[in-house]
Amino acid sequence: MHKSKFSPQKLLKSKALSAFTAALLAIILGLIFGYIIMVIASPENSLDGFNMVLVGGFSRLGDVFYFATPILMTGLAVGFAFKMGLFDIGASGQYTMGMFFALYVGFMWKLPGSIHWIVCIIAGMIGGMIWGFIPGFLKAYMNVHEVITSIMTNYIGMYLVDMWIQGNSVMYVPSKTRTAYLPATAQIPSLGVANSNVNVSVYIAIAIAICLYVVLNKTTFGYELRATGFNKHASHYAGMNSKRNIIITMLIAGGAAGLGGAFAILAPSMITGSSMTYEPVSVIAANGFNGIAVALLGNSSPIGIIFASLFISHIQRGGTLAALFGYKPEIIDVVIAVIIYFSAFAMLMQTTVAKYFKKHRKNKKPESNANEEPVVTLNKEA
Amino acid sequence: MENYIIEMLHITKEFPGIIANNDITLRLKKGEIHALLGENGAGKSTLMSVLFGLYKPEKGEIRKDGKPVKIDDPKDANDLGIGMVHQHFKLVENFTVLENIILGVEPNKMGFLERKKAKAKVLALSKQYGLQVDPDALIEKISVGMQQRVEILKMLYRDNDILIFDEPTAVLTPQEIDELMEIMRGFAKEGKSILFITHKLNEIMAVADRCTVLRKGKFIGEVEIKDTNKEELSKMMVGRDVSLTVDKKDNTPGDVVLSLKGVTVSSKTSKKDAVKDVSFDVREGEIVCVAGIDGNGQTELVFAITGLEKQSKGEIALCGKDISKASIRTRSKSGMSHIPEDRQKHGLVLDYSLEDNLVLQRYWEPKFENKGFIKRNEVHSYAEKLSKQYDIRSGQGPLTIARNMSGGNQQKAILARELDKEHKLVVAVQPTRGLDVGAIEYIHKQLVATRDSGKAVLLVSLELDEVMDVSDRILVMYEGEIVGDLDPKKITVQELGLYMSGAKRNVGKENEHA
Amino acid sequence: MDTFYYLIQNTLPVAIPLLLVALGGMFTERSGVINLALEGVMLFGAFFGCLCVLFLQNSKMNPQTVLIIGMLIAAVSGILYSMLLAFAAINMKADQTITGTALNMLIPAAVLLFSKMKFNSDGVTTDMKFYIKEVPVLSKIPVLGQLFFQNTYLTVFIGFLLLIIATIIFYKTKFGLRLRACGEHPQAADSVGISVYLMRYFGVGISGFLGGIGGFFYSVGVMNGNVNGHTGVAGFGFLALAVMIFGQWKPLNILFASLFFAFLRTLAYSVSLIPFLNSLNVNQAYYKMLPYVATMIALIFTSKKSRAPKAEGIPFDKTK
Repeated sequence: MHKSKFSPQKLLKSKALSAFTAALLAIILGLIFGYIIMVIASPENSLDGFNMVLVGGFSRLGDVFYFATPILMTGLAVGFAFKMGLFDIGASGQYTMGMFFALYVGFMWKLPGSIHWIVCIIAGMIGGMIWGFIPGFLKAYMNVHEVITSIMTNYIGMYLVDMWIQGNSVMYVPSKTRTAYLPATAQIPSLGVANSNVNVSVYIAIAIAICLYVVLNKTTFGYELRATGFNKHASHYAGMNSKRNIIITMLIAGGAAGLGGAFAILAPSMITGSSMTYEPVSVIAANGFNGIAVALLGNSSPIGIIFASLFISHIQRGGTLAALFGYKPEIIDVVIAVIIYFSAFAMLMQTTVAKYFKKHRKNKKPESNANEEPVVTLNKEA
Repeated sequence: MENYIIEMLHITKEFPGIIANNDITLRLKKGEIHALLGENGAGKSTLMSVLFGLYKPEKGEIRKDGKPVKIDDPKDANDLGIGMVHQHFKLVENFTVLENIILGVEPNKMGFLERKKAKAKVLALSKQYGLQVDPDALIEKISVGMQQRVEILKMLYRDNDILIFDEPTAVLTPQEIDELMEIMRGFAKEGKSILFITHKLNEIMAVADRCTVLRKGKFIGEVEIKDTNKEELSKMMVGRDVSLTVDKKDNTPGDVVLSLKGVTVSSKTSKKDAVKDVSFDVREGEIVCVAGIDGNGQTELVFAITGLEKQSKGEIALCGKDISKASIRTRSKSGMSHIPEDRQKHGLVLDYSLEDNLVLQRYWEPKFENKGFIKRNEVHSYAEKLSKQYDIRSGQGPLTIARNMSGGNQQKAILARELDKEHKLVVAVQPTRGLDVGAIEYIHKQLVATRDSGKAVLLVSLELDEVMDVSDRILVMYEGEIVGDLDPKKITVQELGLYMSGAKRNVGKENEHA
Repeated sequence: MDTFYYLIQNTLPVAIPLLLVALGGMFTERSGVINLALEGVMLFGAFFGCLCVLFLQNSKMNPQTVLIIGMLIAAVSGILYSMLLAFAAINMKADQTITGTALNMLIPAAVLLFSKMKFNSDGVTTDMKFYIKEVPVLSKIPVLGQLFFQNTYLTVFIGFLLLIIATIIFYKTKFGLRLRACGEHPQAADSVGISVYLMRYFGVGISGFLGGIGGFFYSVGVMNGNVNGHTGVAGFGFLALAVMIFGQWKPLNILFASLFFAFLRTLAYSVSLIPFLNSLNVNQAYYKMLPYVATMIALIFTSKKSRAPKAEGIPFDKTK
C-alpha cells in the first residue's frame, strides 16, 4: 500500500516543507490579526492600508535592506543560540553594548577613513561578545538559567550604556539628549542608493550569515553544537565538552548581536555632516526582540533568517507607509508579536505533521520502543 | 465455587508492536497473599496497572465478588476498594507524610484542610497495623522503608481491602523486608487480600499462599506455595523457549583488559548504594556477561565503567592504565567502545543522518576532520562502507535521518560504529533488546567474532537465553553486588535463575538468603 | 530618622507590585507552568485599570473607590490575558518560554498602538489623586504610624491583605495542596484522581489575577496613575520572577525579597536625600542597576541549591 509514494525522500522534503508552511501559517495569522485591527481603527481605509503593508516595501527596496540588517544580525544571534538549545533573550543588551563600543571607537579614536569604520565595527562585535559571555559563563559553570540572567544583563547594559554616554562630553549633546554626530570616517560607506541609507553593512551581514551557515553545517564545531541541541545525552555519551561549547556559542551570539548594534549606529546619513544618533532614555532595544521573531520565522537556520529579516523589514516599511492612510506603524509591532505567539504552536503543528507521516510509514514494523521523542527543532531547557 | 474476591479473566493488553498481556487469567481469594511472578517484560506491572485502572485492556473482564466491574481510572479502582503501592513511589517529596496520605481525599470544611482530624485517623491506623510513621516528616527526609509505609497508609486511609504491591522489596534493606512481610501477614489475618508482584523467590516462599507465574506476556500457571519449591518456580519463570544457540568455539582468554577494584556507585533514588564494592576482570578473547534482574545495579555499573557517571569508590583500569577519573572521550580513545542501554537516548542523535551518527565517536580524527571542517566525502564513503559491511538498511542510504530507521537497523548502526573503531574492550548493554530474531542472531555473531579476534567483551543482558548462549563467563548481580561467578557450560538455566533472584551465591559473603 | 521613614514610605508602594506579581508567579510555577509573560500581564492589567480610572476620574467618586474598581478591572483583564498562555502551554504543549516572550512583546506594542490612535500619546495619563497623606487615627501611632499610615497608598494595604489571603489558600486549603502536588509530582496527583490540567489552568489564572492587580498597583504607586507603552513596567515582571526564585517559591520569603529589591530601587532614586550616600558621589545609574545586579547574584547563589518545583515547565502527559 505505502510503497514508492511514501518514500523517505518525500518525508524529508515534507519536513522542510512543513517548517516553511508552519512559518507561513503563523505569518498569515499575524497579518489577519493586523488587518482586523486596521478595520477596527479605520474601516474605510483598511483595504488600502493592508495592501500597503503587503506591497509597500517594494517601493522602498533600499530601505527594506537597510532596516533588515540589524535584525538580521540579532536574528542570527538568537537563531545560532537556539541551535544549541539556548535562548538568547539578551540580544538587546548585546546589541546596545555593541552599539556603545562602536560609538566609543568612533568618537574617541582618531583613525584614517579607510579603517576607522572597520575598527568601529570590530569594537561593536567585541562589546556584544563580552555581553554574551556573561550569561553563557553563568549557565555553563553555575547552571543559572540563561533567560533570567540575559534579561538582567539587558537592563544592566542599558543603564551602563546610557550612563557612559551621558557622562562623555564628546559623545553626548545634552541639549538634544542625543549622541553627537559621528565623524564621517566612522560611518559605514553608503551604497549610494537614492533615498536610502543602505550601506556596505548589508553585504557584511549577509556574508556573516553565510559564514554561520557554514560553521553550523560544515565544521566539527557546528556538528557538536547541533548534536547538543538535538540530544544532550548523546552528546555527553560522545564525550563532547558542553561547558566550552555553551560559552563559545554565547560569544558568537553576543558578537552577532553586537554587530547589529554597530551596524545600526554607524550607518551613514543622507544628510551630509550628520549621522545616526542614539537617545539614551532607558529603553531596551526593540531590535533585540525583533531578532527573536526573525529567528523563529527563519527556523533558526542562517539562510532562513536572511529571508525572515527581509520579510519583517518589508512589512515594517509597509506599516510606516500605511501611515499615509492614517494607521499607526505600531500595528506592525503587534503583528510581529502575534506571529511569534503562533509560531510557538506552529512548531508543534510541524511535529504533529511529521509524526503523522511517520506513523503511516512505520505501521507494519514491530517496534517495542514505543515512546519516541517528538521532533522539535527548538530545544528548550526549562 | 471458591470465594474469589477479584478475578481477572482472559485479559489482553497491547501496546504498539508488543502484546504485554496475552489472555491472562488471575484469581485472588479473599484474605490470601497471592504472588505474581515473572522476569522483566513478563507483563506483571501491566496486568496490575489494568487492575488499578491505569490502563484499559483490549480484551477480558474483571470481576469483584463474582460480579463484572468496570475500572476506567484509579478512582474507580479506589471505589472498589483496590489500592496500589507502586514500584516507583508516587509521593510528593516536599510534602509531609500526612499531606501525601490525604491528597485527593482531604477532610475539609469549606475547602479548609482539617489537619487535626486527618492526623488522628492516620495515627490510629498506624497503631492498628504497626506501621510506624511520623505524620509531620517531609518525604524527602525519611527512609525508603518509611516512604513505603506512607504508600501503604495511603491505601488504608482510603479503606482499601485489596492491596497491590509492585516489587515492594526492591528498595528495602533485609530488616525492612522482614517488617514488611509481617505487615502483609497482619493484613491477611484481618481479611484484606494482597497481590504482590515480585521476581524474588525467597520472599514468595516465605509469605505467599499462592502464586501466578507469567512469562513473556503469557499465563504459565497458578500454584499453591505449600505444594511447590523454588526450583519449580524458577523453572516456570524462565522456561525453555526456542533458544538461539550460537556457534561458538572454545576460547583461551589472554591478558586482562578491564579491571575493576572495589567499585561503589551511589544511587540517585535511594540511600543504598546502587553498586557495592564490585571487583572483577575481563580478559582478551573473553565474553563476560553481567546477568541479573533489571534494577540490581547493572546500569550504574556500566555508567561508572564508561564514564557517564562517577563512582564514589574504587578503581577502574583499562589495559593497565588507570581510567578511574578519565573523561568519556579519553576512555573512548584508550580503546573502550560502548553500545549503550538506551539507543535513542545515548546511542544516537536521532535527528542526525546515519552517516553523522556513524562518526559520532570519531568526527574529530584526522580521517574525518580537516582544519575544523568535516570531510563530508570521507564521512559519506565511510558510512557506505559500514552499511555494506554490517548490513544496515536505511531508506536513503547514509543520508537517512536516524529517526526514520527501524530499531534493528539503528542498533546495527551503533554496533558498526563501536566495533569498527579501534578498540580493546566492548561494553554492550542489552544489545538485542526489542529486536527481531534475525537482528538478534546477527548481533550475537558479531559479538562472538569480536571476541575471537582477541578483544574483550563485557555484555550486560536481561535475556537468559542470551546470557547462557553467548557468554564465556557469567557474573550475576543482585542488589548491587556480584553474587555469582559462573561457567555457562556447567550450570543450568534454573540454577542461574536462583542466583538472579538472590536465593544463592558463590561469591563473597556466606549464603544468607537460602 | 525622617529619612528612614521617607525611605520606607517610598519602598512599600514599590514592593507591593513586586510582591503580588511574584506571588502570582509562585502559584503558576508551583502548579508546573513557567510564566514568563508576567511582564506583559502586568502591563495589560495596568492599561485597563488606568483606562477605567480615566473613565471615572471626572465623576465625583472617592479616589479610593475608583482605585478598587480599577483594581477589579485590572484583575479580570489579567486573568483573560493569562488564558492565552494557559492555552498554549497546557493544551498545545507549546514552548513556554517562547509563548511568554511573545505575550510580553504583544502588550507594549498594543498599548502604544492604542494610545497613539486614541490619545496621540505613548500611554494613558490620569488625573486621579490616589495619594493618601494621612490615614485618620492610625497615622498618630508613634513609629508605626509614620511608617505605614502616612504618605502612602491604598495599594499597600490591599497588597498585604492579598498576601495573607494567598498564603492561607496556598497552605491551608485543599485547593492549595492539590495545586502544589501538580507542580512537584503530577503523576502522583493524577494517580489519586486530581485533574492536573484543571489545576494548572487555575494556577495560571491566579497569576493573571495577581499580575493584573500588580501591574495596576505599579502604575498607581510608582507611575502616579499613568501607563506608558515605551517604558512599560520597567522589567518589574522579570524582577518579580527573580523575587520568586530568590524567595524559593514561598510566600513569606517572597515578601522579604520584594521588600529588599524595592528598597534598593528606592535608594537609587533617593540618593540626594541621604547625605552619606550623596557624598560618595556615585553615579545614579549604578543605583538603578542595583536590583538587577542583586538579582543575578541571588540567582548565582540559589541556582546551586535551588529547589524549583520539580515538574515545572514539563507539559503533563498521562501516558508517562
